[in-house]
Amino acid sequence: MPNRLLIKQFLRSGIAIAGISLFLLTGIISLFIGKSYLVKQREKIETTAAYQQQHIERNVQYGHSEMGLLLYYLRFAYVNSINPLNGLSIGQRDVNLGIQQVTIRNLIEKKYDSDLNNPASLVMGNLDFSFVLIYLFPLLIITFTYNLLSEEKEEGTWRLINIQSNAAKKVLLQKWWIRFAFVTGTLLLLYLLAIPILSIPINASYLAMIAEGVLYILFWFIACAMVVGWQKNSATNAVSLLSIWLLLTIVAPAVINSLITTKYPVPEAMATVVANREGYHDKWDRPKEETMGRFYAHYPQFQQYRLPAEDFNWLWYYAMQQMGDDDAAEHSVAMRNKLLLREKLSNTVGYFIPTLHTQLQYSLLAQSGLKNQVQFLDSTTAFHEKKRLYFYPKIFEKLPVLQEDWRKHYAVEYFKSEPPVNWIKLLLPLLLIIILFTTAILYNLKT
Amino acid sequence: MHTTTLQTTNLTKKYGEQVALNNLNLSVNKGEIFCLLGQNGAGKTTTINLFLGFTNATSGEAIINDVTVKPNDVATKKFVAYIPEVVQLYGNLDGIENLDFFSRLAGFKYSKEKLTGFLSKAGLQSEAHQKRLSTYSKGMRQKVGIAIALAKNADVILMDEPTSGLDPKATAEFTKICKELAADGKTIFMATHDIFNAVNVGTRIGIMRQGELVHTVNTTDITANELQKLYLETI
Repeated sequence: MPNRLLIKQFLRSGIAIAGISLFLLTGIISLFIGKSYLVKQREKIETTAAYQQQHIERNVQYGHSEMGLLLYYLRFAYVNSINPLNGLSIGQRDVNLGIQQVTIRNLIEKKYDSDLNNPASLVMGNLDFSFVLIYLFPLLIITFTYNLLSEEKEEGTWRLINIQSNAAKKVLLQKWWIRFAFVTGTLLLLYLLAIPILSIPINASYLAMIAEGVLYILFWFIACAMVVGWQKNSATNAVSLLSIWLLLTIVAPAVINSLITTKYPVPEAMATVVANREGYHDKWDRPKEETMGRFYAHYPQFQQYRLPAEDFNWLWYYAMQQMGDDDAAEHSVAMRNKLLLREKLSNTVGYFIPTLHTQLQYSLLAQSGLKNQVQFLDSTTAFHEKKRLYFYPKIFEKLPVLQEDWRKHYAVEYFKSEPPVNWIKLLLPLLLIIILFTTAILYNLKT
Repeated sequence: MHTTTLQTTNLTKKYGEQVALNNLNLSVNKGEIFCLLGQNGAGKTTTINLFLGFTNATSGEAIINDVTVKPNDVATKKFVAYIPEVVQLYGNLDGIENLDFFSRLAGFKYSKEKLTGFLSKAGLQSEAHQKRLSTYSKGMRQKVGIAIALAKNADVILMDEPTSGLDPKATAEFTKICKELAADGKTIFMATHDIFNAVNVGTRIGIMRQGELVHTVNTTDITANELQKLYLETI
C-alpha cells in the first residue's frame, strides 16, 4: 500500500500542518501554564517555610511568658505536597487550600477555609494540559477524520480507488492510521516536552498518564471511524461528531455533576461550621465542670490535670476549644463521607464516559482531585491532633516557654501521598469501550 | 488469447419498475473502439457500471475476458481501467505521484522513469509531470487517467463521456491516443454524446434508446452525417 504518498497527501493538505502546529503550540502553552502554577505553589511553600521559623522565633522571643498563651498564637504549617504532575492536571488544587496553618485550638472551622482566588480565572478555568487533551484534542481528531471517506466520494477519487484495487478499505485504514500516528506523535512530543518543562520524574504515575492519554486519543479515533463508517456526507459527519464531542465533554459531565450533587447534598458544610463555633463559644457560659467532664472523657490520659480554682486557666480554655471540634465531629464526618460518596459515584459513572474517566484519572494521578483533598484534610486532622497531644501536657503543667527546643518546630511538615497506579481501573474502561466500538465498526464493514 | 474481451448476454438492469437496461447483447473484440451513443438515461453509464461491478444486474451477464463480472468482480477488476468524464485525482499530489499512487493500488510498483514514460505516452507534457494536479486542466487530467490505464496494463478501458468539455485540440489529442491504445491491442468501450468524434475514433458504434441497443454500425460503413441522421431518427 502506498503509505508514503498518503502521508504526503495528508501533510500537503493545509489543515494538517496548521492543525498539528496549532495543537503543539497550545500544548506547549498549557505546559507553561502548568509550570507557572507549580512555581507559584512552590513559592508559597517556600514563603510559608521561611515565615514559620520567623513566626515562632518572634513569638517565643518577644511574646508570651505562658505556654498556653504562646500556643494560642503559634501556627504550624501543614502542606499538601506538590506533585510535578499537578502541572499537567491542576484539577481542584488551585481552589482547595494546599497549605493549612493550624493552631492547637479548634481545627474544623479552619480546615474548610479556602484560599482567595481570582474569580475571573475560576470562571475561565485553567488551560492546563488535561484540558488540552480532554477538550481540545478531540476537535483536532474530528477535523482530521470526519471526511476520511466522504471526501473521497465527494471528490470522485473513491470510484477510481475501487477500480484500481480490491482493498479500498485498506486505503481508508491507512489514512486513518496516518492521522492517528501524527496526532499521537504530537501528543507524545508534548509528554516528552513536559519532562524538562515541569521537572517530571519518569515513574509509574507518569507512564500511566501517558497510557491513558494515548488510549483516550485512540477512543476518539475509533469513535470517528465509527461515524465515518456510516457513510454519510461530510457535513453530516462533522455535525454528528461535533454533537458527540459536545455531549461527552460538556453536557454529560455537567448533567452528571448536577445529578451527583443532588443525590448527595452536603448541608453538613454549614452545620459543621456552626456547630464548631457554637460548640466552643457556648462553653464560656456553661459550667466549667461540664466542659472538663467531656474533655476528660475524650482524653482520659489528662485526668491528672485537675481544674485550678482561678477564673481563667488554659486547661479549661483548651478544653472549650476541644469541645468545638467534638461538637462538630458528627457533621464533619458526615460531610467527609458525602464527599467520598460523590467521588465514588463520579468514578463509577466515569467508567462509561471516556471524557469524565480520563479527567478523573488524571486528577487521581496528579493528586489534584477530591480524593487527594479529603486525604489531605484527614492528614491535617492527624497533624493537628499530634500537635495537641504534644503541647497539651506542657500547657497543663505550665512549663516555662524557653524550656522547649523550638528549633525542632521550625520545619514545615508535608502530606505526601503516592497511591500505587491501579492499571486495571485506569485502562480497562477505555479499552472495553474501544473494543465495543471496534466490534461495531467491523460488523458494519461486514454488512 | 481472448478475441472477445467484452460481452453481455441478455443484460438487464431495473431500478424498481424503471428499466435502465433491457436485454443488452453485445460483444466487443480485442483492439476495438466501441462507442455507445444515446441520450441521457439511455443506459450507457449503467452498462459501464455493470462492467465495473459497481452495480448488480437484474438478469443476464456482463463478461470480461470470459469471466463473468458478478460475482467475480474482484478478478475482473484487474482487466479494466476506467476514465470518467472528469478524472478525479488527488489535487495536492503531482502527476507522477498520482500515477504512482494509483499504480501501486493496482499492485504495480514502477520506477520514476517508467512513470514518466507512461505520462509522456499518454501525451502529458513533461513540464507538467511534477506539478500538482490542482493546477491541471481537464484535458491534462484525462491524460493522467490514460497513463493510469497504461500503467495498469488493463486489457479494457471503459470511458464515460471522456471528451465532454474538452477543447478541439485536446479532443484531437485524446482521439489520437485512443487509436494508439487500440493499435496496441487495448479494447476501448466509450459512452459518448459526440457523434463526430465517435465516427472519427470508433471502430463500431452502438446507438441506445431507453435501455435498448437499437443499432450497431461499423464506422467504415457510415459517414458522420449519416450517423447523425440515424441517431436523430433513433432517439
